[in-house]
Amino acid sequence: MPPVAATLRVKVLFFGPIRELCGMSEESVQIPKGATLNDLFASYAVRYPKLPGFRSSLVASRNQELAAWDTPIGNEDEIAFLPPVSGG
Amino acid sequence: MPTSSENDKFELVQQPIDAAALVKFVRADLDGAIVTFDGFVRNQSHGRPTNYLEYESYAPMALQKMREIGQLIHETFAVDRMVIVHRLGRLEIGETSVFIAVSAPHRAAAFAACRFAIDTLKKTVPIWKKEYFADGAVWADGELPPAPPSQKTAS
Repeated sequence: MPPVAATLRVKVLFFGPIRELCGMSEESVQIPKGATLNDLFASYAVRYPKLPGFRSSLVASRNQELAAWDTPIGNEDEIAFLPPVSGG
Repeated sequence: MPTSSENDKFELVQQPIDAAALVKFVRADLDGAIVTFDGFVRNQSHGRPTNYLEYESYAPMALQKMREIGQLIHETFAVDRMVIVHRLGRLEIGETSVFIAVSAPHRAAAFAACRFAIDTLKKTVPIWKKEYFADGAVWADGELPPAPPSQKTAS
């Protein structure tokens, strides 16, 4: 039997003020299996201490659909933390 | 009226928007009215003179959200065709950032659908605008799309 992976690989995208704060548009990261969107955000909050201040004005997306913060992440998911939108 | 139309168009573009071509695109013989919305770059924001704007998007998700607006409009209003085109990148004062055109047999549905389209776009489509002033730049205040309910409380 193939070994069961203990980690998931996900693509994380950054837009607008969050892209500027984190200094990147996207990256691929490995996270523990069972992690939620909240857990992933918390890992970025450690790397970017100013990020938690934005938490209440962000909405998470998973595979291009808005998702609740306690949504579990799957392998190869595409995740983003979206700031308030201002098109038009 | 159909609940969707192969004659709709939802696009993100880098180049200037050709409004006249889009109006022509939605015009058909079964229609009697077209309502358009032309959103363009204002020369000031809260009284502060603007130099230019920059727009960016989460493109695949933005297009999906624009298509969802179209689907909702066909379910809600008796309209024929629609286009929603948003421009990205750097835009100068007076340039069109978003153009919407809706055709319908009768004007009331076209007015209502066009209004619904721009109001919903501003709340749900992942596009962001940065305003550049003589003395700095800021990300425009936006609207946070409503997050779905927690899966834990839902189940």
